Amino acid sequence: MEKKVNLFHPEEGSYPPVKNPAGIGLRHAHYKDVIETKPAVGWLEVHPENYFGGGAHRHYLTKARELYPVSFHAVGLSLGSTERVSRDHLRQIKELIEIYEPFQVSDHASWSMSGNAHLNDLLPLPYTKETLSILCRNIEETQEFLGQRILVENPSTYLSFKSSTMPEWDFMNEAARRNGCGILLDVNNIYVQSRNHGFDAFEYLRGIEGRHVGEIHLAGHTEQEIADGSTVLIDTHDSLVRPEVWNLYGFAIEKFGPIPTLIEWDQNLPPLSTLAAEAGRAAAIIRERALPHAAE
Amino acid sequence: MRLSETQTLFSRTMLDHPDAVANPDPALAGLFAGEEAILPARLKIYRNNILGSLTKAMQATYPLIEKLTGEEFATGLMRSFVLESPPQEACLARYGAGLDAFIETFSPAKDLPYLADVARLEWAMNEAYYAPDDRPLTPAGLQNVPLEELADMILPLRASIRLLDSRWPLSAIRNFCLKENRDERETLNLDQGGCQIMVYRPGLSADIVPLESAEYAFLQAMSAGDTLGQSLETILKTFPGFDFKGFLQKHMALETFSSPVANT
Repeated sequence: MEKKVNLFHPEEGSYPPVKNPAGIGLRHAHYKDVIETKPAVGWLEVHPENYFGGGAHRHYLTKARELYPVSFHAVGLSLGSTERVSRDHLRQIKELIEIYEPFQVSDHASWSMSGNAHLNDLLPLPYTKETLSILCRNIEETQEFLGQRILVENPSTYLSFKSSTMPEWDFMNEAARRNGCGILLDVNNIYVQSRNHGFDAFEYLRGIEGRHVGEIHLAGHTEQEIADGSTVLIDTHDSLVRPEVWNLYGFAIEKFGPIPTLIEWDQNLPPLSTLAAEAGRAAAIIRERALPHAAE
Repeated sequence: MRLSETQTLFSRTMLDHPDAVANPDPALAGLFAGEEAILPARLKIYRNNILGSLTKAMQATYPLIEKLTGEEFATGLMRSFVLESPPQEACLARYGAGLDAFIETFSPAKDLPYLADVARLEWAMNEAYYAPDDRPLTPAGLQNVPLEELADMILPLRASIRLLDSRWPLSAIRNFCLKENRDERETLNLDQGGCQIMVYRPGLSADIVPLESAEYAFLQAMSAGDTLGQSLETILKTFPGFDFKGFLQKHMALETFSSPVANT
C-alpha cells in the first residue's frame, strides 16, 4: 500500500503539485468497474461504516486502495448529539484508519443519535453557544481518540431554529477555530440552505475562513413542491451537479484554492463514466481558477 | 429549551404515529423559524428520509421476505419493525436482528407460519456476508497433528458459519424465490418436511448447504466448544453409524473450520 498522501496543507499556504484533486465516492455498484477501468479521478471517498464488517466490502476497498488515495467520510458519529460519541463506533473507525490510511477523515455538523436510537439522517441543529460547546466537545473527543484532525461538513436542512444566534457560516468557523478541526465545505448544501432559508450563498462563502477548508463536496439536489405549496430543495445526491452550484463552486475555488473536491452520488447511480466526467469538470475548474493564482 | 430536550422531542416525533408529524406537539412547533403552517410538510421530509432509508436497508437485508409477500406487504412489515426497533448504532449492516421474533407477533403475518424462519435464514445470511475475515483450516494444518492429539483438539467454526434447524423446507423456499422466469401458477409444497442447513461464505457471498441430522448435531457440539473427541462421543450415542471421515472430507472442502490463530 502506498504512503499516506496529503493532497493539501492549508496551514502551509502552498499547494503541492496534485495532478488531480477531484475524486468520487466509491459505491458498492461501482466496485468492480473502478478496479477494472481505473477511471481518471484523483481519489476515492468511502463511508467507513460500510466497512465495519468483513467480506466483500473490505475485499474491494483493499483493491481500490491499491489504486487510489482514499478519504473516510463518516455518517455515524452524530457529532451534534448531546449524548457522547460512541466509543465503539470510534474504535471501529480507528481500526479501519490503521488498515486503509485515509488522507482525510470527516463527518457532519448534525445529529442522528438520541436515546439509543440512530435515526440514520443528518438532523438539524440550532446555531447557539450551547450547540457549539456540545459539538466541539464531541469533535475534540473524536480527534483525541483517532489521533488526528477531522473535517466537519456543513449540512442541508429543511427547518431552522428560532433560537439560532449566528449564521451557519459563523457557526462553522467558530467550531473550526475552537478545536482545530477543518471544514468540509459542501457547496451543494450551501446552495440548498440559501434557497430553503433565504440567504445569499455567496455571502456564506465570503463568510467562511479559508484556512479551515480542507475538502469540498459537490452533489445533485431535487426541488420538491411540498404540501403547503412551498418549494423545498432536498439534498438527494441523485443527479448531476446543478449549474447554480457549479457557479458557486468556481467562486469557492477562486477564494479557497485547489481544495480536494468530491462528486457525491448515492441514489439512482449513473455509469461510472458520468461520475468521472463530473470529477473532470471540477478538476478543470480548479486548473482554470485556482492553480494560476496559487503559482503566483 | 435545552438541546438534549430538543433532540429527545424531535426523535420521539419522528418515530411516533404519523399524526405526531401532521399535528406536531406545540413545544416542538415552537422551536422552528417560519410560519407554523409549513411545519408538518417539513417534518414529513425528515420522517420520510428516516423511515424510508431504514425500511430500504431492511428490505435489502431481507429480499426473500419481499419475494414471498410482495412489495406492499414487505414495506409495511419493515416499516412497522423500524418504528418499534430503530437501530441502536450507526452501522446498518448489523441492523435488522430480531425480525423473526417480530414477525411472530405481527398479526398480518399470522397466516404465513413459515415467514419467521425465512427471516431467520436471511439474518443468518446477512451475518455470514458481513462476518469478520478469517482463514480456513487447510488439510496441511491438520496433517502435522499427531493422531493421539486429534481427539483433544477444538476446531472452531469460521466466523461466517451459522447452523439452522427449521420445520419448513427453507432451501426449497429459497430456490423457489430465486428461480428466474417462474411461472406465476407454480406452487411450492410447504409440507415436504423441515431442514437442517449450514450458512457459510464461500468467496464473497453467503450461501447455504443442507446437512444430515448427525452432521448438524456434530457441528452444533463443535460450535459449543467441545473437542473433537467429546463431539464424537456425543454423536455416536444418537447416530452410531456417523461417518466421521466423510464429514471431515466434506467440511474441509467447504472450509467450515477456521485456522488456529497461531498458524496464520
